[in-house]
Amino acid sequence: MGRIIEEIYVWRLPVRFYHWINALCMVALFATGLYIAAPVLNPALGEAVWQKGMAWWRYLHFVFAFIFIANFLFRLYWALFGGDKYARFGGFRPWSPAWWGKPFREQVESYLFLRSDEPNYVGHNPVAALAHFIFIFCGSTFMILSGLAMYGENNPGGFNGVWFGWLIPLFGGSYSLHFAHHLLAWIFPVYVIMHLYAVVRHDIVDRTSVTSSIITGYKHKVEEEPV
Amino acid sequence: MQSNQTFADLFRARGVSRRDFLKFCSLTSVYLGLSPSIAPALVEAMENKPRTPVLWIHGLECTCCSESFIRSSHPTIENLLFNMISLDYDDLLSAAAGHQLEAVRKKIMKEYKGKYILAVEGNVSTKDDGVYCMVGGDSFLNILKETAADAAAIIAWGSCASFGCVQNAAPNPSGAAPVSDIIKDKPIVKVPGCPPISEVMTGVIAHFHTFGTLPELDRLGRPKAFYNTRIHDKCYRRAFFDAGMFVTSFDDEATRKGWCLYKMGCKGPTTYNSCSKIQWNGGTSFPIGSGHPCIGCSEPNFWDKGPFYERLASVPFLGSDSNADKIGMVAVGAAVAGAAAHAAVTAVKKVKSDKLGNDKA
Repeated sequence: MGRIIEEIYVWRLPVRFYHWINALCMVALFATGLYIAAPVLNPALGEAVWQKGMAWWRYLHFVFAFIFIANFLFRLYWALFGGDKYARFGGFRPWSPAWWGKPFREQVESYLFLRSDEPNYVGHNPVAALAHFIFIFCGSTFMILSGLAMYGENNPGGFNGVWFGWLIPLFGGSYSLHFAHHLLAWIFPVYVIMHLYAVVRHDIVDRTSVTSSIITGYKHKVEEEPV
Repeated sequence: MQSNQTFADLFRARGVSRRDFLKFCSLTSVYLGLSPSIAPALVEAMENKPRTPVLWIHGLECTCCSESFIRSSHPTIENLLFNMISLDYDDLLSAAAGHQLEAVRKKIMKEYKGKYILAVEGNVSTKDDGVYCMVGGDSFLNILKETAADAAAIIAWGSCASFGCVQNAAPNPSGAAPVSDIIKDKPIVKVPGCPPISEVMTGVIAHFHTFGTLPELDRLGRPKAFYNTRIHDKCYRRAFFDAGMFVTSFDDEATRKGWCLYKMGCKGPTTYNSCSKIQWNGGTSFPIGSGHPCIGCSEPNFWDKGPFYERLASVPFLGSDSNADKIGMVAVGAAVAGAAAHAAVTAVKKVKSDKLGNDKA
């Protein structure tokens, strides 16, 4: 048995909103993106003028994409100017060798069952921070930049074409950029699976209420009590 | 060789009326996307400027660019275009051959140093000192370097010279390389396509002749006038794309109704060219117009982005022919399996440690 000895308000409202909007956008973008790549529904024979099949899916993809971008930028703003100590990625210092030292190593060992105790962090542990940096920060940045470059193709010489169009020659043509965007979209379902598993597992093993914390904002510290 | 002749002289000598000459000039300015007010400048240039000498060399290629160039639906104009550029050297079309022809090339290179246009059709074999493409007893690699040295500008005809095309598709046995990989110090206009549209080819030359500069180029070095938009953007079947009405097999009702070829692997949405605007053979048709999906022949490395009849390219993955979705599903499967295995180990350890705890107590 355990006793809750401390309640910590970790995820403030803006962070929780960011998280859920991001989750919604990811699912919507992945689904609409796959549909655009392989439009499986075919309307009955008739006049094209009455149908909007593909246009709607693309429209939804773009709408969610711009929400996703705004949300992503808001999260960066919140990290920099929010004054929220659990939201500013303060502990994430991959450029410093010390960061890769003991805490990181211990967390990896714990995940590999090489130690019996679980290091406990109020925010993200170092391995989680690295995963978020790679999948969410780098992954989203790539998807946003490549997405805007492709969106700019609709309007040559326009804002998106001028500012983001350089990705097209960088990837060796429009098709290759589409391919990269399509391929790397798959990192998100991979990430979601690992994320959900890790959250549920930590909740069971550490009993820190991490699952409900993204709704309530509160995490708990639990102390073992003698039976 | 009368290289001081102007285009107007040439037109006159060939019995073309001034009216037809003016028609040609305005048509060319329209093709170039220039404003109507520029047409007089074009007329002026065509009448007064001596013709620009062009040396046209052929490397590793199939001659489809030349075939396109000489194809014409308006014989007078096209034929004139063909004769119009002072094509002083072309080892495919020249009447002279052998040493005589090579002497002409050397002569133009000397007399028009820094003033002639070098048109390159085909690309360059670089492997084993370029022995896989020999022209006149020398490797094409050397000929290109030598001829490019004194050129004012280079026009890279077709996808071969621009990006590499089939010759440098994987595994590229002859080390074929596009012109821009070999020549770094000259302005290069890339006119990709396999082949490029003939009006696009003549348009580029007319622009250089009129303004003495290269046309405005995009990020991949292609003239914006012709390569600024995708086939998809100007495709007459675009309405069917937006409506989600697709051909799903080459003999279905949708094919007969002329629906969008997206699901048949059409690369129109990622291909920059003028096919859906200018079209081919004087505006007769273009591949999509004839019911075939665009294969993206003017895009870099389009041979390696196949199959032509599928949207998603095949890529080698773990020794198999795969695609982005298959790779993604394998990754998701691996994540699920990893999580399940990790959960199982966690559960086993928990049971063990609980037992240990109970034993202690």
